[in-house]
Amino acid sequence: MLHFKYLLWLLAGILLPQIVGSATLMSLLTQAVIYALFALGVGILLRQCGLVSFGHAAFFGSAGYIVALLMRDLEFGAGTAILLTLFALAVVAFLLGLVVSRIPGIAFGMLTLAIGQTVYLSTLQSRELLGGADGLNIAWPGSIFGLDVRLFYDPAGMFVISWVVTLAVIYLLDRLFRTRFGSITSAIRDNEERARFIGLNITLPKALVYSLSAVVSGLAGILSAIYTGFISPETLHWSVSGMALIMTIVGGVRHLWGPVLGAILFFFVKEYVGELTDYWMAMLGAVVILIVVFAPNGVSGLIAPLLERKKRVTKTVVGKQVEAGS
Amino acid sequence: MKQKAYFTVEDLVVDYGGVRAIDGIRLALDKGEIRGLIGPNGAGKSTFIDAVTGRRLPTAGRVTLGGEDITRLSIIARRDRGLSRSFQRTSIFADMPVLEQVFLASHQARAEHPEEDALAILKELDLEAYADWRAGDLGYGQQRRLDLALALVGSPSVLLLDEPMAGLTVTESRDLAEHLKRLARERRVTVLLVEHDMEIVFGISDRVTVIELGKPLAEGTPDEVRANPKVREAYLGSAA
Repeated sequence: MLHFKYLLWLLAGILLPQIVGSATLMSLLTQAVIYALFALGVGILLRQCGLVSFGHAAFFGSAGYIVALLMRDLEFGAGTAILLTLFALAVVAFLLGLVVSRIPGIAFGMLTLAIGQTVYLSTLQSRELLGGADGLNIAWPGSIFGLDVRLFYDPAGMFVISWVVTLAVIYLLDRLFRTRFGSITSAIRDNEERARFIGLNITLPKALVYSLSAVVSGLAGILSAIYTGFISPETLHWSVSGMALIMTIVGGVRHLWGPVLGAILFFFVKEYVGELTDYWMAMLGAVVILIVVFAPNGVSGLIAPLLERKKRVTKTVVGKQVEAGS
Repeated sequence: MKQKAYFTVEDLVVDYGGVRAIDGIRLALDKGEIRGLIGPNGAGKSTFIDAVTGRRLPTAGRVTLGGEDITRLSIIARRDRGLSRSFQRTSIFADMPVLEQVFLASHQARAEHPEEDALAILKELDLEAYADWRAGDLGYGQQRRLDLALALVGSPSVLLLDEPMAGLTVTESRDLAEHLKRLARERRVTVLLVEHDMEIVFGISDRVTVIELGKPLAEGTPDEVRANPKVREAYLGSAA
């Protein structure tokens, strides 16, 4: 049943470019899906650890830079450079997570903001290696993972690729968070003290989720860098982290698809309300306040009960659900 | 010659900045003993439990379990050695189903059959019917029992209970008291019970320790403590 649901979403994503006639709308949807993946990265940290990061743009932006440098200076192929970048992000974020995830609440947010801005300012200052404020043009080869690079530059092609990647990430995360690891991180988020008193190690699972969220954000950053063929320090700025956080809050994190929905809504508000008024950000701010106050689980939290059929769960244990009378 | 006590606390001192919250408390509990720890509000009972379980490091003193010095061990290491606790304020995983969290705790305690173990504990505490409930949706009394279930997972050898009867009905409190007695008698669990319900403390404790302003005031059997003039004056009042 679960696989069938994913298959349906996959087909919907593949068919959508055939239905959408407007190139502008297609480009908007492509950007929305890339940022949806980024918001998902920020969202899993909030969902599994209750941690709010203001610095995930550091992973989103630096992923593009690292791939570009690996290809330009070390002459790696695109596929190898992408895989190495994701691995490097996982390791660095894990080590960073071992330190920062020990810090609670708003202090964690401020620390991630400081780390993010340090990366941004360092990149801005690095003219010789990273091109400073001008950024870098990335010379992608003719094919990436066996796919013609023109497919990545085409909005419809990139939409399908990003959609497939996002669905695959949601599927894998969904499977992962249904295991004991998911229960452990949920327990830590719910009540860190009690978690410690039932014998759970607190730091390691949080660092792993931090690392995972960095990899997902980095993957989105790589897709963005391929799509635009360019990377600049703006992608590392705290406002990009803030944007992803807004998408996450609007969409909600109780469901993994919440941040994805939030990102799509964000881009539509930006595009269509932005055409009507210059004050679209103020309007979005008001929407965020309303959501935080009246729908703390975001738009997905409002929609999900309408979509889900009531299931009588007869038995629930970690990693295993036996359902009856669905 | 008297056998050395199973669980001991020697000259425990806890300072909060310049304030001495616990000042030289000593306890020696045998296996299977229920010890009541009472004292007026602010006497330092919860601070004492925090220091013994590793939530707060003591300024001085020593805690031993089965002859091993556990004073500087982490919370997890103490838990691994059989020291468990419940909290004054209900401490559960509100967003998680009841069985899932007890299962998780049981698995963490390296139970051979964690699922069966978790179900058995829920049955023992009359929570079996709520196994699939989100813990946050349980009533207060049920949440208190779940808090105790999490403390009982993994068959701890020493259980420190911080006001476990708070918020329970009279019947629930009596049931819980009976349950604690069974734990001590049948499973030889050592219980340190901090509780305001004097009827229960004096009813089930083998011995009672009284503290006041972080200092030991009296210790003895329930009858001895009841008869102690210092205790009557400082805490129990003429009604005792």
